[in-house]
Amino acid sequence: MNRNLQRRLAVGSNATAVTVLVVAAVVVVYLLVDRFRIRLDLSADQGSVLAADTVNKLGLLDRDGQPVTVTAFSAQRGKKESYFKDRQLQDLLEEMDYNSAIVETRFIDFDKERLTAEKLGVTDYGTVVVQRGDRRVDLQDRDLFRRSGKGDDRKIEFLGEAGINRAFSQLMSDSRRVVYALVGHGELDVEGHDPNGLSELAAALDQENYDLKKLDFVRDRDQVAPRVPDDAAAILIARPRVAIPALEEDLILGYLATGGSVLVAVEPGSYVPSLLGRLGVVVPDGIVLDKLLVFPYPDRPVPRYKSHPITKDLSDEMLVTVVSRAAPVQASVPPKEGVRASTLLETSRDGWIDRGGALDSGAARFEADIDGAGPAAMALALELGPESGLVKRGGARVVVLGDADAIANGLLAEGPGNASFAINTFRWLLGDEGRLSVVGRPSMVRRLALSAEDLGKVRWLVLSIGPLLAVLLGAGVWSSRRGQ
Amino acid sequence: MRAIWTLWKKEMRIYFVSPLAYVFLSAFLFLAGLFFYLGVTLTGEASLRVLLGNLAITQLFVLPMLTMRHFAEERRLGTLELLMTAPVSLGAIVLGKWLASLTLCLLMFLGTLVFPAVLAYYGDPDWGVVFTSYLGLVGVAAAFCAAGLFASSLTDDQVAAGLVGIVLLLPFWLVGRAEALLPEEWADTVRPLSVLVHLDSFNRGVLDSADIFYFVAFTAVFLFLTFRSLESRRWR
Amino acid sequence: MIEAIALTKSYGPRLALNNVSFTIERGEIVGFLGPNGAGKTTTMRILTGFLPATGGDARVAGFDVFESPMEVKRRVGYLPESPPLYPELSVGDYLGFIAELRGFTGRARHQRTGSVMERVGLSGWERRILGSLSKGYRQRVGLAQALLHDPPVLILDEPTSGLDPAQLVGIRDLVKSLAGTHTVILSTHILSEVEALCPRALVITKGQLVAQGSLDELRAMAPRGDWYLVEVDGLDGPRLGALPQVDLVEPLGADGAWRTFRLNARVDPRPAVAELAREAGARVRTLEHRLPTLEEAFVSIVGRE
Repeated sequence: MNRNLQRRLAVGSNATAVTVLVVAAVVVVYLLVDRFRIRLDLSADQGSVLAADTVNKLGLLDRDGQPVTVTAFSAQRGKKESYFKDRQLQDLLEEMDYNSAIVETRFIDFDKERLTAEKLGVTDYGTVVVQRGDRRVDLQDRDLFRRSGKGDDRKIEFLGEAGINRAFSQLMSDSRRVVYALVGHGELDVEGHDPNGLSELAAALDQENYDLKKLDFVRDRDQVAPRVPDDAAAILIARPRVAIPALEEDLILGYLATGGSVLVAVEPGSYVPSLLGRLGVVVPDGIVLDKLLVFPYPDRPVPRYKSHPITKDLSDEMLVTVVSRAAPVQASVPPKEGVRASTLLETSRDGWIDRGGALDSGAARFEADIDGAGPAAMALALELGPESGLVKRGGARVVVLGDADAIANGLLAEGPGNASFAINTFRWLLGDEGRLSVVGRPSMVRRLALSAEDLGKVRWLVLSIGPLLAVLLGAGVWSSRRGQ
Repeated sequence: MRAIWTLWKKEMRIYFVSPLAYVFLSAFLFLAGLFFYLGVTLTGEASLRVLLGNLAITQLFVLPMLTMRHFAEERRLGTLELLMTAPVSLGAIVLGKWLASLTLCLLMFLGTLVFPAVLAYYGDPDWGVVFTSYLGLVGVAAAFCAAGLFASSLTDDQVAAGLVGIVLLLPFWLVGRAEALLPEEWADTVRPLSVLVHLDSFNRGVLDSADIFYFVAFTAVFLFLTFRSLESRRWR
Repeated sequence: MIEAIALTKSYGPRLALNNVSFTIERGEIVGFLGPNGAGKTTTMRILTGFLPATGGDARVAGFDVFESPMEVKRRVGYLPESPPLYPELSVGDYLGFIAELRGFTGRARHQRTGSVMERVGLSGWERRILGSLSKGYRQRVGLAQALLHDPPVLILDEPTSGLDPAQLVGIRDLVKSLAGTHTVILSTHILSEVEALCPRALVITKGQLVAQGSLDELRAMAPRGDWYLVEVDGLDGPRLGALPQVDLVEPLGADGAWRTFRLNARVDPRPAVAELAREAGARVRTLEHRLPTLEEAFVSIVGRE
């Protein structure tokens, strides 16, 4: 071959072609590598890569082909751990995006993109909305993060993967659980939109995949023998005004005997179902007042949360459940055998059960002769064991709430903690408190224990000493060279 | 091999006998310290994520300035002629320079190790994540040094080379940021080009074969282009 | 030792070298002459392997520049037009680096740099920073760099430019000392340098080799051959021109009564001029045979610009 021609081949336009080819080849190889990725998670909690269970679920969603969107809203800026929360969520969404073709994820700055929030009807920071077709599941902060400890030992764990994983399950499964609300005795209206209605509660339950239906023994009795429907996951008795016939109460007790669960909400002066007596619960006369912690009137005591799965998040988050004119609820003395009763809400030590007297003339004051001494409980959670003679095996759960208003439209929206309290109550009743069940290990915030003084030291170290050392080193070399 | 070593030593000597390296080191440590401090006060966490996320973009500007003088200055001084008439291959010249600039980066990063030390003193950092984060940082440095060298090989004005380097790298950065602005099909196509996307998994403690390959390929392609560019300047 | 066969180099459409062929034998010192931009540097860069030729072949020390560039680079010492120095480094560091590049390590490296520094007169300057050196010393370091590996072939591009006279002599002596053992090709546009150093020269202009040969051969290419210088008091041009041996008389000037002429003649006219002066009672101060200068030859070869 002509040598000049040979040179031309090695250079000139051919060289450019070779260059382009090499770059193209690298891109092709990248695409191959991208397809067969190997991922290794070196983080301590292994939280950076999705758990196998989640990946499987995403695979199921992909195979099904129906688009799924996960919209996450940012945490409130400036609040403790907001950075941790946002970052954890963003990382999780990214991993999901990466592992699925069908799941679309969005991270929305709640402060900046209000419109998106409005469109989805999201009102809280840190909400995650998982949508599939026309169904959706909302996850709140309490579903995504778990807190424990106090002060310096305070810990926060991210459980978002488990939460979204469950949301996927809920969206894929058609089974919705049904809560039946007893009607026919002047109870609060399930469909009512007035402040005494339960429409807000129904909506909140709907997002939990719980349906709130009416249970009308009277109407049923006209047709067939009245009974609690088979699909009943819980029964709600919301402030009956008139007596519930013994027959109906027996039906409910029978339902409890099979492991059912019941929420009884009363008010001062409302009918107190007699079954409460059988469960070892007493609703004394009077209303609960408090002197120390009120919001803003004495008949709106700010309840203290007692330790229980229902109240744990609320207590950690310091979200207040607002009550108004609550009836005292107490476990009988001596306690009923086989029933484990836990107080959920209670007044401060300065609270009491007021039975008139000075109150009638407008003065809230404890009168030892007629009033009951505090602290006064306003809500109890009961777990029934076989020893009670009421159930054959464990699992039946009852919550008695002294203030039905607390879960009605009016206060459900007003109280910072009321919705959470209501939902947590139903979750516990339905055995769904494991909704925060852990898939994979949760990631924990790794907090720095830095005092203001420490922070000053750190600032000095990183902003001055490091750069200064480098400058001094340079100056040293420079001057030694100048000397030559 | 020995030529690479010889060239590496020469580059390191030039870096360290001039004030340049110290100015960079000092400025870099100050910036890094600032990011670290901000990150700590902002998050209160024993995590380097804020720092490392910002260091990556700092490198986008710092590294082209660190590498800009390499070929541009050699050409201006006429020393490129010296190297290319010495019995060393062009590949060795390119590699020697790349390794030298990468070494300087590593030294700068070495200075930032005081940050994880602070975290360990006041908290309990996730060492796995710290490790992979630094690995990602080195990946970015390797890639950006290669790109900076390429920019330097294009011109004999080092300031121009620095600017070209930054302009060259910016798209790889912006692609990650502008993703939301692009139409969906486009976004999916350009997404793998983004440095941010690939860096992210490192910062979360995940080693991903595709991300590692990205940085290796990025580096290799730009070193190859540098080689080609120098060679073609001879042929033309 | 150096062989160029029909070297051609084009930068895009511009032809920088056109069909240049020459041969340089072992031990020769050859001057490479030509006006600026004639293609001297291009030719040298091709010979060192820095630039590839567009066409033609070049062989240096028995190796093809295009096919075995490494072999050629090992055997060539090259000093580019401006010495290729790193201003940040010290003389010692710089030469040490070059030595390592050339494959000398440890003691060999030390010994090499030491001896070459002595050779170019840089002893005791190891620690000086290159950026602070004067032009002459920079040139010396450049030369040291080219000589360091004691190459059989030296290619020096304007090695003496910018030197003061004393330095010039030193460098010239150095180059001269290389004769016989080294093949040297040095480019310059200073003709006196070629006369001082090179028995042979190549003349290149506009990319073409227009002349080559010994200095005498080149001088012979001057258009008007040798001539005679006459300084007389009492003779004028026409009388000198009337002599049968004289072809042409050219007055060159006057110094008081003394008048200077340039005579071109095929036969030595000096006895005739002397005779004429005696007859005319004129005084003669100079009567000299002059050879054509290299300048003249050069100007006529490359053409007046």
